[in-house]
Formats: sequence, structure tokens, C-alpha cells
Amino acid sequence: MRMKYVLTEVMVGLWRNVTMTIAMIITMTVSLFLLGFSGLLYQKVGDMKDLYYENVEVSIFLKTEVSAEDRTALEAKLKSDPLVKESTYVDKDEAYKRFQEMYQDAPDLVNAVKPDQLPESFRLKLVNPEQYKNIYDQYKDTGGVDEIVDQSKLLDKVFNVLTGIQNFTLFISVVMAAAALLLVANTIQVAAYSKRREVAVMKLVGASNWFIQAPFVLEAVVAGLIGAVFALVGLVVGKTLLGGGSMASLEGLITPVSWSEIFLIFPLIAGVASLVTAITAWVTLRFYLRV
Amino acid sequence: MTKTYPKASRPSLDNVSVAIEKGEFVFFIGPSGSGKSTIIKMLLHEVAPNKGRVVVNGKDVTSMRSWKRPAFRRSIGCVFQDFRLLPNRTAYENVAFALEVIGKTKAVARRVVPEVLELVGLGGKEHRYPHELSGGEQQRVAVARAFVNRPLILLADEPTGNLDPDTSIEIMRLLDRINRTGTTVVMVTHDSNIVNQMRRRVVEIESGRIVRDQARGVYG
Repeated sequence: MRMKYVLTEVMVGLWRNVTMTIAMIITMTVSLFLLGFSGLLYQKVGDMKDLYYENVEVSIFLKTEVSAEDRTALEAKLKSDPLVKESTYVDKDEAYKRFQEMYQDAPDLVNAVKPDQLPESFRLKLVNPEQYKNIYDQYKDTGGVDEIVDQSKLLDKVFNVLTGIQNFTLFISVVMAAAALLLVANTIQVAAYSKRREVAVMKLVGASNWFIQAPFVLEAVVAGLIGAVFALVGLVVGKTLLGGGSMASLEGLITPVSWSEIFLIFPLIAGVASLVTAITAWVTLRFYLRV
Repeated sequence: MTKTYPKASRPSLDNVSVAIEKGEFVFFIGPSGSGKSTIIKMLLHEVAPNKGRVVVNGKDVTSMRSWKRPAFRRSIGCVFQDFRLLPNRTAYENVAFALEVIGKTKAVARRVVPEVLELVGLGGKEHRYPHELSGGEQQRVAVARAFVNRPLILLADEPTGNLDPDTSIEIMRLLDRINRTGTTVVMVTHDSNIVNQMRRRVVEIESGRIVRDQARGVYG
């Protein structure tokens, strides 16, 4: 009976103030959608970092007129360097083969370049990719070295952009959440006011505090959970639209978001939604009902 | 006990000491602002005294934790001048509400609510809304709601303040009947007619002090 009473009160409460309920759900949805998006992005950036840094290379390109002595000296030095995990020598033919593979979609470009024009290089895997700077300082003035390129520098740029997007969505999510919480507080106040007579009688006859507060708190939590469900729907729609369309070409670059990852983010946003709304509602009631 | 409200120049109740026995019927009389209602508030654990102790049903409630208040209030019934009924509920629903919110089942309500409405003389009017009832009838619903839990104490804060003399007397007969079941009745009033007719214990308060405590008193 008590459960039924509380649930009826929740539904009546949400319906009585339906415009506020809708406003609450919309802001909740946007906030939670962005939170989920930013959560997924965080995971993706982590995945991609693991994947890319694993394969990242530092390339030391040699001058075209490099002498054999310089090359052997450099090779020996690299082999004995504790910072270098692995070094591979790539001669002109090998470089040309890689070049052909990389630009197989652009035959004109491939035809225009002769193996001779491509520089020889050493491809290094570092023990710790972040020690690139040391390698650079050490080898930039070595004889025969033309240029040192660190792929992780390029990756850092990509990741900086992704982290920036992630921080931005997180920021917007927090701002929206603040708006949502103010709406929750206001809704609770309106609900408490419209039921002030009932609350007064309940206090008088000795209804327990949780029994007085539960309908209000649950009202907020239910709205929050509806928002979480809509946010999940938003993420699903987002994946369907982007997965099939414009993002498909980036498939190789950005590791794709799987369905399971999207559904695993739901407990997170639902948990955040219910916890935060419940606390807000409860705090509002402490001030407003003084039970 | 003494109670001083913040910002008040003098205590609302100044060194007042009253003992009310189980099953008694006591009037607190006195002019407005004399401190009568503060006594009711203390008995309800709504305000605490600055000095002294409040003991209700053998329990010291002076420093009772606020989370224990709900359980404590279940042993006390309360009636007010303004009835405090829920306008969108019928007489039956108003009384049943008081039971349901303290965890009693609908089956219990179905059994005891008609009984208590019969007792207060509202048999046959269970399904009227407050606006379809007269002032006296509304106060009867309030009394039924206060009594449905069989409280040990019934507090009445000017219960006849909004009623005409004849209706007031009917309400007093009802409170008297409830008192005869063993329930202690504490009533705050300044209705001299009623006090004179009932001939019960009268405690007169003036400016926060007890000026008279008479076993079978009259008003002034």
C-alpha cells in the first residue's frame, strides 16, 4: 500500500506540474547526453593512445648524399642506445615500396616520384615514446642526419583536439546540469507548496520523515531517469547517423564506438542522474519543508 | 519551565509549572499573547523550552531528537481553530489519510474510520467534502482524525474559535465523551461560556505566568 501510495503521488506530482517536468527532462537529457558523449570520447582517446603509441615511430631521415661511414656509425650508435627499443633501416627501395602503399589511391603522385628521390631512414621504436626530445637532441647534429620526425608529435595534435572536445562537452554538460538542478530545486519547491496542507497534516499525525519526503525525491529521480533514457536514445541515434555516414571514412583513424560501449555508458549516466537529482531534491526539502 | 522566543522582550512563558494527570480535562485560558499556545507547541515538540523540562506520557521530550518526533506525535491527537482538513478529500478520506500516512493498511482504515465518524456524529456524511459540511461538522471530522489513532492525549487549540455557541457546545460534548474514554484532553480557549458550563480544571495564564489553577473553575 505504502509503495503504491508513494508511486501514485510521484506520478500525480509530475503530471500536475507538467511544463516544469518537461523542462527538467529536456535539460537533464542534454546534460546527460553530453556527459555520455564525453565519457565515450574519454574511452576512445584512451583506446587510441594505447593503439597508436604502441606503433609510433621516430624517423631519422638521412641526407641523400650520406656517406656509408656515417650511416654505419649512426646505426651502431642507435643499436647501443638504451632509449631505443628497436631500430630498422629503410633503404631507398623500401621507402619507395612504403610510399607506393601509402599513396596507392593517387597513382599520379606515385608515378611522379622515383625511388632515388626518397631519403633513406632509420625507423626507431622508443622504450618510452615520450623521450623523443632526448633522441632529437642527441642525433640532430650527427653526421648524415637530415631530419628527425616524431610521429607522436602529430598524434599529440590530434589528441589535443580530441581532449579539447572532450573537455568542452564536459563543461557544457556541467553547465546544463547546473540548469537542470536549479529546475529540480524549483520543481520540488512548487510541488512542496502545492502539497503544503497534506505535508502539514502528515507532520501533525506523525508520518515518518522519509514518508513525507520520498514522493518529492522520487519525483526528481524519475525525471532524471527519463532524461537518462532519452540521453541513451540520443547516443544510439548519434551512432547510427554518424556510423553510417560521414564518419565511416574516419573508421580507420578513430577506433569505432561499439554498441556495448554505448550501453555500458547508460549505468553511468543513469547513476549520475538519480544520485544528483536525489541529493538536490533532498537538500531542497531540508530547507523548504523543515522536516 | 521558561520559554523566550528570539527577539521577544519578555518570556512567552515565565517559570511555569503544570502537572496534568492521565485522563484529566484541562482548560488553559487567558488573553491573546499570554503564552497558552506556546504550551501546546511544547507538548507537540514543536518548540523546546529554554529552561526546565517537558515530560509527556512519562517521557522527557525536552531534548528529544527531531527524528523521534514522528513516533512521538502518533500518541497525540490535535485539533485546531481552522480545522486543517484537506479540501480535496472527503470526510472519510481525511480521516483515512491520517492512518495511511503512518503506515496503516486500507483494510484497517475501512474498519476504524466509519466507526470513529459514527462516534463524532457524522454517520451518513462520510463522503461529503469539507466545503459540503458546516463548520461544526468540519470540526467533527478534525476531531475524528485526531482521535482515530486512539491517542493518549488530545490537544485542542481554540477548537470552538470559529463556531457559533450552539455548535461549540456540541463540539465540547464530543470532547467530553472522548475524555470519558480515558483520553487526556488539553484545551486552549478564551470562550468563557464553554469554560463556565464544563466546570473542569482551569489554568489561567497571564503574561506568561500562571495566575490561577482551579480544580472545577469558571472563566475569570
